[in-house]
Amino acid sequence: MSLLKDRRLRTFLDFFKLLLKHRSGRIGLIMLTFFVFVAVFAPVISPHKPDEMGLADRFALPIWFKLLPQYSDLPENLELNIHAQDWLIGKSSQYIVASIEDGWLSLSPSVEGMKPREDYILLEHDIEYPYSPPKRFEIHIPYTVTVEGELGSYARIRVYLVDVDGRSYMLYDGRPIAYNKTVIDPPLRIDTRDIGLKLRLGFSPYDDVGEKIFSKKGVYRLRLEVRLFTVSNGTVTVRLGTVYFRIPGLVFGLLGTDNLGSDLFANLIYGTRVSLLVGILASVISVSIGLAVGVVAGYKGGFVDQTLMFLTDTLLFMPTIPLLIAISVFIGKNLYLTITLIALLSWMWFARNCRALVMSLRDRPFVEAVKAIGGSDIYIIYRHVIPQLTPIIYITLVLNIPGAILLEAALSFLNLGDPTVPSWGRMLYNARYSGAFFKMMWWWIVPPGLMITFLAMSFILIGQALDEIFNPKLKARR
Amino acid sequence: MKGLGGYLLRRAADRVLVLIVALTLQFLLIRVMPYYILGIDPSFFFMNPNLTNEQRELIREQFGLNDPIPTQFVKYVLSLFTGNLGFSFYTRRPVVEELLERLPNTVILLGTSTVLTIIFGLAVGLVTAMKRGTKIDTGIVSVSVFLNSIPLFYLGLILLLFLSFYFRVFPTAGTISRPPPKEPLAYIADYMWHMALPLMTQLIINIGGYALFIRSLFITQLGEDYIITARAKGMAEHQIMFTHVLRNILPPIITTIALALPGIVSGAVITETIFSWYGVGRWLFEASLQLDYPVVQAVLFISVVLTIVSLYIADIVIAIVDPRVRLR
Repeated sequence: MSLLKDRRLRTFLDFFKLLLKHRSGRIGLIMLTFFVFVAVFAPVISPHKPDEMGLADRFALPIWFKLLPQYSDLPENLELNIHAQDWLIGKSSQYIVASIEDGWLSLSPSVEGMKPREDYILLEHDIEYPYSPPKRFEIHIPYTVTVEGELGSYARIRVYLVDVDGRSYMLYDGRPIAYNKTVIDPPLRIDTRDIGLKLRLGFSPYDDVGEKIFSKKGVYRLRLEVRLFTVSNGTVTVRLGTVYFRIPGLVFGLLGTDNLGSDLFANLIYGTRVSLLVGILASVISVSIGLAVGVVAGYKGGFVDQTLMFLTDTLLFMPTIPLLIAISVFIGKNLYLTITLIALLSWMWFARNCRALVMSLRDRPFVEAVKAIGGSDIYIIYRHVIPQLTPIIYITLVLNIPGAILLEAALSFLNLGDPTVPSWGRMLYNARYSGAFFKMMWWWIVPPGLMITFLAMSFILIGQALDEIFNPKLKARR
Repeated sequence: MKGLGGYLLRRAADRVLVLIVALTLQFLLIRVMPYYILGIDPSFFFMNPNLTNEQRELIREQFGLNDPIPTQFVKYVLSLFTGNLGFSFYTRRPVVEELLERLPNTVILLGTSTVLTIIFGLAVGLVTAMKRGTKIDTGIVSVSVFLNSIPLFYLGLILLLFLSFYFRVFPTAGTISRPPPKEPLAYIADYMWHMALPLMTQLIINIGGYALFIRSLFITQLGEDYIITARAKGMAEHQIMFTHVLRNILPPIITTIALALPGIVSGAVITETIFSWYGVGRWLFEASLQLDYPVVQAVLFISVVLTIVSLYIADIVIAIVDPRVRLR
């Protein structure tokens, strides 16, 4: 048994060496190894997943654009977590107590002094901004308000941003809060895409607020104003969590981002898995069907043969792409369904070839000999017919893959693929329908197609080399 | 039932059977399976939601959607063979009328591209086969393999991106400018200008594959004994190619031409969609998305019928060219 295994391994290795001896086989194998490597190590190669949204601003440029002088100032992602101890107290009234309790900044009026009264505190934090103007920014502020004792006390929060020239913009003006309130999950969110905010600040709804406010490089100041109004027998406490400030960058990753802010490079890398899966699975299924139909039809002959070949011919008469489109629309979008459909519409030529070969084998002396010693049909097919078909099985297995890959890409491009799968065709669909053409984002449009082309090509080259290995005559004729 | 007539008669009977089975299969896949297994009601999508139930019933009755499925199928097949392709769910116009509107565009685009593909493919295939093993051959074959691996839609997109958006040489979409030019010559020029990109896409993708196919046909024949005999007689290489090889590889070439012909009418779905070409292929795609069954079924029917007819004509031609076939 061990000897047999060893021999098989050696034939396999010899075969591999033969493949490497052919130039097209060598090139194809190198290309395929690259794609398999990319598919296997996708999570290592790409730091982000293709379905993570909002990684940077939408339509961000690739990061290497910063090497060019006109893009060198473009903003990268700028994120700040402002913890309780990071705040500077700008100004405050006399009787206000600020303390830090397990990461939370707690603000409350002291017991001293006359009541009712109003206390205020200004918390400030500087933001260093070294880039050209961004499109937008956002701030998340988690806080809680606790009102104790007699009713009537309230707290009020305002958020300002002070620009380089000292101009101050009020980003948020909270209402008085006179009851217990927890705004942690979700926190208070200030996003400059908010049209109400744009109008309050005196901009038009079409302006990018980020661009207007962060118009220069320099130090900006985020200012939080907390006002506490207390009645005589009551008190109010405001607790502030870690404030998150973010300017989504206009450059991101190796290929920038799409219309949802997802990483295009991640999409490109993970797309390899989808294409390889579709190609190999569809090819295996279609070759299995073709083999089964071809062998049975060729070996049995007669009525079975005629029926099976009639079915094969009928399917051959069907227009593949229109039928695939119609079925995908009417039945649904699912990756495995697409694979099955592709396989079901691509086995016919192989079945015909197999049948012809099996028919020529059926009456050979060695088959007759096995029959004479009482070998069953299944035994003959398994031990004597199929081994003869090995070359054509391997060649078809490899040469069916590019067709399946191209077909899946085309279907995904027409938005008939699985919308949850990050395939290359889908990437091109997104590019087309989110305006990448009008923005002339060639770094979005060119790479996925090149990947499809080279993946398909690697299989075609390997198939050609296999063809020459199995049919040495072909080479001699040259 | 011997000889050419018998052979053709047998083939005809075969093909009619294939047509009927193909029609049944299409009906099952597109009309019955979505409705009965997935519960997609074809009338759900095109009816105004404000209609009352009586109005809905009336419309369903008009389109014959209330009949039992077998009745629908019989009606469908019978009307197909009398040339009545039904009414579109959306435009409520006869399918034939809409088809005739789009047909000229598709026939011009696909006709030109098919003819050019065959001519150039044959020429390139012949040249590479004659110069096999040389650098020219290797170069052309590598380029062809590369072209054969490019997805059609991607080539279209790339041409669109660079020639229409970056350099603005060609229009980005459409069949004709709006408003169309008045003078006939200007009209034709404008039409050609719009057709350039789709035509280029079709040609670049198809020529590579076709040339490779022709080349492999030639090369397979070159190892045969009759070639050795011809060489022994001292015939020139080009003479062998044209008189001996070409005649022997004619049947598969005729078959591929026959297989390409129905495409001239049923259109190139992807190319037409990308370039917004007002043709049958794009119509099929749009109708599919709208679940417009009459249109989808009509286009698929036409394409199957044309495949069968053109392959039948190919059978006749092959039987004339290659006497061996008749004896089978």
